[in-house]
Formats: sequence, structure tokens, C-alpha cells
Amino acid sequence: MRLEAVGANVILDGAGVSLGGLAVLRGISLSIGSAEVVGIAGPNGSGKTTLLRLLATLARPDEGSGRVLGATLGTTEVYAVRHDIGLIGHVPALIHELSLRENLEHAARLAGDDVSRIDRALRVVGLEGAADRKVGQSSHGMLRRAEAARLLLTRPRLLLLDEAFSGLDTSARDLVDALVERSVAAGGSVVMVSHDANHLASRADRVMTISSGRIEAPA
Amino acid sequence: MSFWDQAVEIARVDLQVERRIGDVLRIIFPFAVVALLVFPLALGIDLAAITRIGPAVFWAIGVLFGMQVALRQAADDRPERRDLYALLGVDPAARFVGRSMSGSLLMLGFMFALMVATLLLYSPRLPEGWPIPAAAAILLTSIGLTELGTLAGEVTAGLRNRTALASLIVAPLAIPLVLGGSQTLESLARDTGILPWLLLLFATDLALAVAGVGLARPIEEASR
Amino acid sequence: MRITRILMVIAAISIGAGLYLTFTSPTDRLQGEFTRIVNIHAPSMWVAFLAFGVTALASIMWLIRRTNAWDRLAEASVETGVIFTATGLFTGMVWGQAVWGRAWDWADPRMASTAVMFFVYIGYLALRRAIPDPIMRARRSAILGAIAVIQVPLVYFSVNLFRSLHQTQSIRPDGATMPDSMVIALLVNFAAFTLLYVALTAARIQVAKAEEEQAADTVPAGDAVTPPLLSEVEDV
Repeated sequence: MRLEAVGANVILDGAGVSLGGLAVLRGISLSIGSAEVVGIAGPNGSGKTTLLRLLATLARPDEGSGRVLGATLGTTEVYAVRHDIGLIGHVPALIHELSLRENLEHAARLAGDDVSRIDRALRVVGLEGAADRKVGQSSHGMLRRAEAARLLLTRPRLLLLDEAFSGLDTSARDLVDALVERSVAAGGSVVMVSHDANHLASRADRVMTISSGRIEAPA
Repeated sequence: MSFWDQAVEIARVDLQVERRIGDVLRIIFPFAVVALLVFPLALGIDLAAITRIGPAVFWAIGVLFGMQVALRQAADDRPERRDLYALLGVDPAARFVGRSMSGSLLMLGFMFALMVATLLLYSPRLPEGWPIPAAAAILLTSIGLTELGTLAGEVTAGLRNRTALASLIVAPLAIPLVLGGSQTLESLARDTGILPWLLLLFATDLALAVAGVGLARPIEEASR
Repeated sequence: MRITRILMVIAAISIGAGLYLTFTSPTDRLQGEFTRIVNIHAPSMWVAFLAFGVTALASIMWLIRRTNAWDRLAEASVETGVIFTATGLFTGMVWGQAVWGRAWDWADPRMASTAVMFFVYIGYLALRRAIPDPIMRARRSAILGAIAVIQVPLVYFSVNLFRSLHQTQSIRPDGATMPDSMVIALLVNFAAFTLLYVALTAARIQVAKAEEEQAADTVPAGDAVTPPLLSEVEDV
């Protein structure tokens, strides 16, 4: 199957990834257009996280090929598009010894984003009163909100969510939903993975199932 | 954000984190001073010998413990932080340069404090006009050692036993730095010219800087 | 709070008296003005040993009773002990530089063993700092505090044994043949430094208590968070 859809933000053609000598992903082909939300469901160990890392350009394809935001995976082209990719992973990507605000400032400066928007982002995600807490003193939900604030600032064109709703209360889930909606409204693409297919069904335009590193028929 | 702005921002946050956890000041430096105390005890009381080995002990301990400064916890990017830097569009070479800047500053502070401790504990006999050549040698050694430690830290990132493994990689590679540093003062005492040794140190620093910047992307990709 | 303040005032007065006697008592003919250093050096070292002894006791008591107060005492006592050890080492080095022309006197085993002891407790403080959880911190530092008190005398014994194999003579700022007025000055300083130790330790315990109360008053993590303003997501 060849996929060369015009205007697609993500195209994978028979892509596979091996980690530690084991084939974690095999023959993955998919295409994701702009303003599209794709859900990928699968049990633990099925390769969901690796697939997201492949899309985030953080894992390299060992077989097949792929393009993300126009950049060919596994080449130096990816450096140019990484700034447009937003990832919420299992473990919050925040520096432990800094406060939530300092983390956002650090990220914004490195990405060349406007530091003056941080206060507003903190207020929107509901962290105004907790911004000066160190990461180590914050709860999981607070760290997720801080990551949401970072994505509000960077406005990624490709948003990747790895079990991003797990362990969150309703209002924090609403916040992640709002991030997704904003991305879609701006013509971006969203990929969310979860072990819970029902949970994806209400949010995604289409849901695929992944098992043992292969994509099975669309659910 | 330009290459240099990114490097400076990374160095700034590195130093801020170090100020909060204080690995160098509270753990590595005291450990190094204990090592300075152990040598004469193992040697036996022989004041002439203690005076004579002072500079040699300084360079040996400086380099061995300096590696711990370069590999300190604050410089250990956890995988999620490396991913974050990648997705923020940070140039891996800028990360290397930033790390080297903050590390070199800490290393310089560490080396100078260690020098003061050595002067107090060993009362070494030093050649006339030693301060400026010694400062130059310490500066160049600190930069080289930091670059080496940063590179070794990168290739061992996220591995089990990272600190011991990286130390093993750095120690033999740091020989030119130990020789350059110790022979600068030795040559000054014998009046045989210090320039070759300072040039050796400078060349080592430069080679490591070129390697660090040039290999930054392959190193970054190798960790994926 | 008030007791701490009163202790501070008494300590300040006695330190003042000690300093006055230090600078008015006659000096040794050989060592000149540097004899006076003994009035700071010797009481500092005494207080250091006292402080680390108290730490050991408090550590063992914590292991038996598991009450916060013992942990606070152990912590406060180590901090004051480290300050006084540093003072003792520093004055010893100043004296060595002045009288011997060498800051560090390897012939006197007490300097080396005191320095080793100093770093044992620097390590103890580094361990405390590395553990954020108060109960785990108390438990582990109590164990280390108890180990240290067993090990430190062995350090002293080993270094002294080491010295006896390397016969060297050394004059230290000891007070064996001092005139009476110097002995009195020294005794007053011993008393003054002991009072200062008590006052500083009490003050440090107050600080620790205040910190604990502040930590207890801090809003729990969840309460610091407000609902997100979903309508404003577009505006960031």
C-alpha cells in the first residue's frame, strides 16, 4: 500500500523500528491529514509509545520510510520541523530542581517563544497560584497542566499525546481536549494513543488498533 | 533563538540547578579534600616528601575528581529532558557548548579551591613567578576536562553505572591534560620553557571542542 | 523563643568576657601574640566534640523514640559542631603558619584526624540535604550519626597509632605551663564557647521548628490549582 496523500502531515510507508534487537514496530503504513485527530489503541507493549516516538522524530525507522511535516524520517531534515511537534509523554519533561514557571521560561527561551505570554498560559491552565512550586513539590496533574501550558506557548502543528488523559481529573482532561481542539482548528494533526479504545472513540476522527507492533484493521 | 543564545540559556539553567543542589560544593569538593588528606597519611610523615609531591597530588586529584564535576547529576539529562530539548529545536552542538561553558566555570572554581587546599595542606615549594603559568594551566585543563567529561557523559547517557563508566572512558583520555598541567610548573622550575605544555593543553581543548561540536548530531541520534 | 534569646544574651556576655581576658592576659615569650589563639582554638575543639557527641546521642535516641525533637537536635548540633570544627582547624592553621611557617602540621595527628572528622559530618549534612522526605531523612541520618560516633574514635586511634610509628616532636598551643591568668582566660573561654554552643543549637532548633510549621501550613498541592480557563485557550 502506498500512501502519498496530498497535504498529509504524517505519512508512514512500511515503517519499522527495532529496539535492543527486537522489532517493536513492523510494516506500519498510515497517513494523517491536517485537522485530523487519530487515535491508536492497543494493549501494553504493543508498540504505541514507540510509534509516537517515531512520529516525534525521536526514534528512527529501521525499515520502510516516513515523512513528518514534510521532513523525511531518519534524515537531518527532521531538525527543521522538530519545533512544530508537541509531545506529552509518560514522564513529564520538566527539570526537577526548577519551578513550574522557570521550566516554562527555559523552554520558551530555547524555542524562541515569547516569554511574556507565560503568565497568561499559567492562568489559563489554572496554575497561577502554583507557578513557583518546584517540580518535585507538584502533583502529577500539576505537571501535566504545566506541559499543557508549554504546548499553548509553542503551538505545535503535530500534537502527540501518550496516555495524556490518564490520572487527570475532569477539568484537566477538558484542558487537554481544548489543546486538541485548538490544534485541529489551526489545521494541525493530533495523534493520541491509549490502551482504552472507548476513551479514544469519543475524541478521535478514526481509531486504529495496534497489536504486536502492527496496525490492525481500523476499529 | 540563535546558537549562542541557546548555549548561554542552557549554561544558565545548568548553573541555576547546580546552585540549588550543590553537588560540586557540598559533595565533590569535600571528597577531593579528603583525598588530599589521605595521601600524606598513606605516605607516612615525611615533610620533605609531602612538600615535593604537593603539585603532583594536586593534578592527579584535580583530574580524577574533576571528572565527577563534569559528570555531576545536574548535567545528566534524563531521557525526557533530552526529548524536550530535541523537540524545542535545540541544536545538539549548542547543548554541548552550553554544557561545556557551565561545566568549565564550575571546574575552574573547583580547581582553584583545590589549589588553595593543596597550598595549605602540602606547603609545596613552587618556582618563582608560578601564579600566572599555574592559572593558565588550570584554566586550560578545566576547559579540556569539562569537554571530555561532557562528551563521555553524552555517550553514556541513561546507562546503568553511568558515572563509573564515563570515568573509565575519560581517565585515560585525560592524560594529555594531566601532563600539560603538571609539566607546566615543572618546566617553569627547570626553566625549560612552559610554552610547549600550554600549547599542548590548548590544542587538546581545541580538538575536543571541534569533536564535540562536530559530533553533536551523531551523538544525539545515537542516543535514540 | 524567649529562652533562646536569653541564652544568646548570656553567651554574648561571656564571649565578651572571654575575649577581654584573652587580650589582657600575658603572652608566652616564644610564641608571642600567637599564644592568644589557644583561647579560641582549644574551646572550639572542645565544643566540636561536645556537639558531635550530642549528635550521636540524639541519633540513638531518635532510633529508640522516633520523635522529631531528637532529629532536630541531631541536625542543629551537627551544624554548630561543623562551624566550631572549622574554627578550630582554621585557628590551628593560622597558628601553624605563624609559628612553623606551615599551615598544616602533619606531625600533629590531631590536625589530620580532626579534618577527617570534619568531613565525616560534612558528608552527614550532604546526606541530609539529599533526602527530601523528613522521616526517611531522620532515619538515615540517625543511622549515619550512630555509625559516625563508633567510627570517629577509631579514626583518632588509628591516626595516633600512625603518629607513634613516626616519632616527631611538635609544640602545640597547649596550656601545660601557662601562667595563672592565662589559665583563667582559657577556662572562661571554655565556659563561654559552651554557652555559645547551647545558644546556637537552641536557635537552630527554633529555625527547624519554624520550617516544619511553615511546611505544614503550605497549601496542599491540589489546592493551589484552579480550574482551567478553557474559553481563553485561544488567547495564549
